[in-house]
This record gives sequence, C-alpha cells and structure tokens, in this order.
Amino acid sequence: MIGYYISLAMRSLRGTPILSALMVAAIAVGVGASMTTLTLNYMMSRNALADKDDVLFAVQLDNWDPHKAFHNPSEMPWQLTYKDAIDLLRSDIPSHQVAMHRWGGPIALEGSELRPYTVEARVTSRDFFALFDIPFIHGGTWPHAADNNSAYQIVLSQRTNEKLFGGENSVGRTVNFNGAPFTVVGVIEDWQPSPKVHDLNNGDFLESAEVFLPFGLHRALEIYPWGNTNGWKSEDINSYEDQLGSEYVWIQYWAQLDTPEQMERYRDYLTGFIRERKAQGRFPRPLKFGLSNPSEWLALNEVVDGDDRMLSWLSLAFLLVCLVNAVALLLAKFLRKAPEAGVRRALGASGRSIFSQHLVESGCIGFAGGLIGILMTLVGLALIRQLAMGHMDTVASMNWLMMLSAIGLAILSSLLAGLYPAWRISRTNPSIYLKTQ
Amino acid sequence: MLKMQSIRKSYRTDTIETHALRDFSLAVDEGEFVSVTGPSGSGKTTFLNIAGLLETPTSGQYLLDDEDVGNLNDRDRSRMRNEKIGFIFQGFNLIPDLSLFDNIDVPLRYRGLKGRERKKRIEKALEQVGLSARAKHLPAQLSGGQQQRVAIARALAGEPRFLLADEPTGNLDSLMARQVMELLEFINEWGTTIVMVTHDPDLARRAHRNIQIVDGQVADLQHGAASATAEIA
Ligand SMILES: Nc1ncnc2c1ncn2[C@@H]1O[C@H](COP(=O)(O)OP(=O)(O)OP(=O)(O)O)[C@@H](O)[C@H]1O
Ligand SMILES: [Mg+2]
Repeated sequence: MIGYYISLAMRSLRGTPILSALMVAAIAVGVGASMTTLTLNYMMSRNALADKDDVLFAVQLDNWDPHKAFHNPSEMPWQLTYKDAIDLLRSDIPSHQVAMHRWGGPIALEGSELRPYTVEARVTSRDFFALFDIPFIHGGTWPHAADNNSAYQIVLSQRTNEKLFGGENSVGRTVNFNGAPFTVVGVIEDWQPSPKVHDLNNGDFLESAEVFLPFGLHRALEIYPWGNTNGWKSEDINSYEDQLGSEYVWIQYWAQLDTPEQMERYRDYLTGFIRERKAQGRFPRPLKFGLSNPSEWLALNEVVDGDDRMLSWLSLAFLLVCLVNAVALLLAKFLRKAPEAGVRRALGASGRSIFSQHLVESGCIGFAGGLIGILMTLVGLALIRQLAMGHMDTVASMNWLMMLSAIGLAILSSLLAGLYPAWRISRTNPSIYLKTQ
Repeated sequence: MLKMQSIRKSYRTDTIETHALRDFSLAVDEGEFVSVTGPSGSGKTTFLNIAGLLETPTSGQYLLDDEDVGNLNDRDRSRMRNEKIGFIFQGFNLIPDLSLFDNIDVPLRYRGLKGRERKKRIEKALEQVGLSARAKHLPAQLSGGQQQRVAIARALAGEPRFLLADEPTGNLDSLMARQVMELLEFINEWGTTIVMVTHDPDLARRAHRNIQIVDGQVADLQHGAASATAEIA
C-alpha cells in the first residue's frame, strides 16, 4: 500500500508544481539553516578521544602569579613549564605520559626534485603514539633515551611519507628538517582529530602535525615553540638555558591512568610534587593541580561556546517557522483535494488509510526538501569555510552521519507538518463531498 | 440483505436541528431492484449514505447481511463498504487526475488485491460498460454518459452485492439515461441488489419496487400519502 501512496503522492505533487515547490523550499531552507549550524556544533564538539575518556588526563599545575589567577575557568595555566614537564616525565605511575608542544619548519629530501616545504611538527616524548593510540604503518617510536638526549630521529605521517617517499617504507632513510638530517624511525597513519583535543592552545581546528621529533632535542636545536607561551613573572632571559629554567608555560602534558589506584597515587604524587617546589620558593598560589579527561578538557576550553549554542537554537526556531509555513500550505492543498478523499472513502478507504496517504505525501515533500536542504547546508558550510579562511576547514564539512541526519530531520519535520493536515482530511465527513462535484 | 429499523438521523447545527430521517424502517431483499423517490430534502441521500455506511444513524438499528453495523469501527465499516457496496453518484465523482483505468483501480487497491488480479478485473469492468478502448483517457475527455458508465464500472469492479445509486441519471439526457438504466437492469439480472434514488417517474416504475420517502419516513403508497411535502423541523 505504501507504494500506491507514494505513486499517488508523486502524481499529486506534479499536479500542483508551484505549491509543491514552495513546500519543498520551505522545508529545504529550514533544514539547510539548521543543519549548517548543527553540523558546525557537532563537528566542534566531537571528542576524538571519547573512547579514552576514562584513562587520559590533561595535567595542569598552578605555578601562576600569587596576586592573580590564570584567566580561564580552571584558574590554572593550560600548559606547564619545561622544567616541571621534564621532572613529571620521571614519574613511573602513569602507564603512558606525554610532554609536547607545537613546532614546525621546512622539510626536504636530499637529492630529490621535491622543493623544501614547511610542515607542522610536534616535539614530544616517545609515548605520544601509544597514549593517543596512533597506529604505525612502518617502524615505531624512538627509544626512551631520546626523550632526554638529542637523537636526530623522526616519525612521519602517512601523508608526508607519501609525499617524500611515494609511500614506500622509509624507515632508516634520512630527511632534512629545519636544516638538520634526521633518520626516519616510523611512519604513522594520518591522525587529524578535530577539534585538536590533544592541543587546544594552538587553533582548535587547525591541522595536526606532519612530523614528530623527540623531546630530548631542545638543547641541541634550541627549539622555541610555535604557539602560545605564557608568563607572569619578569625574568631575565639571556640564554636558551634561561628559557628552559623559566616560569614560562609552553608544554602540554597528558598522562594515562588506567586504574583508580593509579589515579589515587598520581594525585598524591602531584601533591608532593607541588609541595616540594613550594619549599623551593616556587608555586606561590594555594596548592592546586588539574587532571581533566578529554571531554572535560574540551568543555573547559570552551571549544563550543554559548554563542554557538545560541545559534543552533535560533536556527531550529527558524526551522519551526518554516514548518508552520509548510503546515499552512499542506492544509490548503489537502483541503482542496477533500472531494477526492470523499470518493476514496466511499470506495472503501478507511480514515486511517486516507491519513496514511496524505502523510506519505508530506513525507515525499520532506524527502525532496531534505535533499535540497543538504545542498543548502553544503553551500552554507562552504561560505563559512570561505569566511574563516582556513580556520574551520575540518569542522565546516558534512560527514555521512550529518547527511543522513539532514534527510531524517527533513522527513521528520515534514511528517510533523503533515500530521495535522492529514488528520483533518481523514476526519472530514465524506458524504459532504459526494453530493455534487 | 438490508434491514433498517426505526432509524433516526438528525443534523444539529448551532441553532437548528434537522431531522433528515425519523422512524425510518425498510427491508430490501437480495436481488431486488428498488427505486426511491420523494421530494427534495426528504432524506433520500441521507438514507443511501447510511445504507452505504458513509454515515451513522443517530439512533435505530441497521442490519447488513444480518450484521449489526452500529457496532463496527471505522476500519471494519470501510472494509465492509469496500467489499459489499458499490456507489454511483449523480455527479459521477471520478477522480479527475486519474485515468479511467486508475479510477477503477481505486476500490481494488483498498481491497488489497494483487496487480494481476486488479488488471483482470479492471479490463472486465471496462468491457462491461463498453469503454475498453478508453482505459488511458482522463475523465474530462469523456461525455457525461460515458463518465457515468466508468463510475458504474468502478462500482462493479469490486463485485459488490449491493449497488447504491443516487440519481445516477440526473445529469444525463434521456437517451444516455436510458442506456445507464439498461446497464443497471442488466447488472441486477446478474444478481446485484440495487437501490436507486431517482426523480424520474418512468425510471422509478421500471424497478421491482418503488418506495417513496416523505419527510424522512417511508410513505405508505397504498394510502396515498405521497403528496406530503418536505419540512424542516
Ligand atoms: N450535513 C448536513 N448537515 C445538516 N443538514 C443536512 C446535512 N445533510 C442533509 N441535511 C438535511 O437533511 C435533509 C435531508 O437531506 P437529503 O440530502 O437526504 O435530501 P434528499 O432527499 O437527498 O434531497 P434531494 O432530492 O434534493 O437530493 C435536508 O433537509 C437537508 O437539509
Ligand atoms: Mg439527494
């Protein structure tokens, strides 16, 4: 019977092309507007590390100004000092832990046609890949020693390996990064979490690193980070050693704590860690540290802020307005065809089948509206990408789930819009329409 | 096959109450051809609508094939209407944007018949009314008489045992009217019970039995009450 209803719906829609187009447009515009904002919100609030929410924790230590808390909801700096990060790495409590920051530079291949080009880099301790569950295609991470001593080793992303080596196993080969030769020790699958939950200091939605370098290289290369460095104290920085020993915060720190006991011990450890440093005259504020799992970290960093949410509600309200329009149009259309419904009733259609027939017609309008709504969403997102100039590329795009949701939203909306008109028409007394034609 | 006992039907609006039928009792046997006459507004259409399960009486009992239809829900009434009853209207009431074929298809769809069976029945029904060649045409492309024959074909395709016709010849000239009447008589000879409302005394006389409705009641023909006029209570 549904097939019959669909063919009747098609015939009916073709019979009133302008009215049908208006209804489809009403649904499409509403769906387009709300899906654009919903997609942005969804993509922005996606937690790429959700499956590790129980075990991963971003570490914060409050080494800030005694007179003024760090200006964020946690009232602690987002990042750690170099010296604290180095000391924390010595703890054997976490299953894995990572100290890291953003960097970058030109990469080139000796004797290759390829012109040197700039890549995003991440200077990190070796556990990065294990902690974030990033699989290797070739090779593996560098040895523990490389986290403390300079070792010119490098891990490439799949994309970079593709570009430099045509996708071959490049482990053991040499690449030139920032003017120095590095030995490739591993190639990882491309890893582009968006938002970049592991580093929300440097553009929530920018692309992730292409190459990874050991944390032990700081002194040898005198690495200054690309990205945020914050300080509160006036310090004389005359050498790179001064930079490393300063109260400047620029290192992101994550720890993996698999069990509650580990968590307990790590808390005690951090408490002791801060007490020790207080005794040395550092950490002048009340003792405070933070351990936030990826979800909490995203919320704390306000990746999706109140304005974004407001916009979603506004666009849903707009969809509602479009729906009210669709209801009015549907009602007009259905009531115009009431005599036909009367004839169908006389020929044996139940009120329910008249209702279904008209609801199916609404659903068809919704389906068409959904398809066009997707096109409108794609246009809307393209506009946003244009306006954001590269800052929103990873979020202002639709995945299959969002496309299906758009169709679902459109059909649901049109069914809702059709509910009342279909009910009205199914309840009208057929005999009224049968007397004359 | 049809038995109505003390049927009353009243329409109530804000200010007036209209008694379309009152204390209306009638029995029609299987195979009969009954014509119904009466002044305008006397309740003829109301009677047909109740007989055809399109409306429910305000009170009284209606047995169709010995089943009390007062107790049925909309779905069962619709199924019964679909299976047992065929309608023919004065205004033909074909669906304008469906071809003749698709118009006749409508009751068969609600019957839930398979595609092949429907096609067979539609073709047979079109043949019976002599319009096989016009299956693809739209109703507007036919004359009034032809349209009424399609409406009859549509009513027949479901092979109902009970045909209700409300002034089926009212919009037709006398020649066309005679053709339609002959078709109905033919159908009746093949066993379908017919109740036909008409204003035409000649056609009314051709039925087995004529009943006259006056003022919402069956008039007693023997006692010459036929001159009573309709009145609105
Ligand atoms: N839906 C309705 N609402 C109110 N009154 C109605 C309704 N349908 C019919 N009536 C009234 O009921 C009475 C009987 O109407 P009905 O249509 O049965 O008459 P009829 O005998 O078929 O007349 P005609 O020969 O003109 O077709 C009339 O007075 C009419 O006004
Ligand atoms: Mg009438």
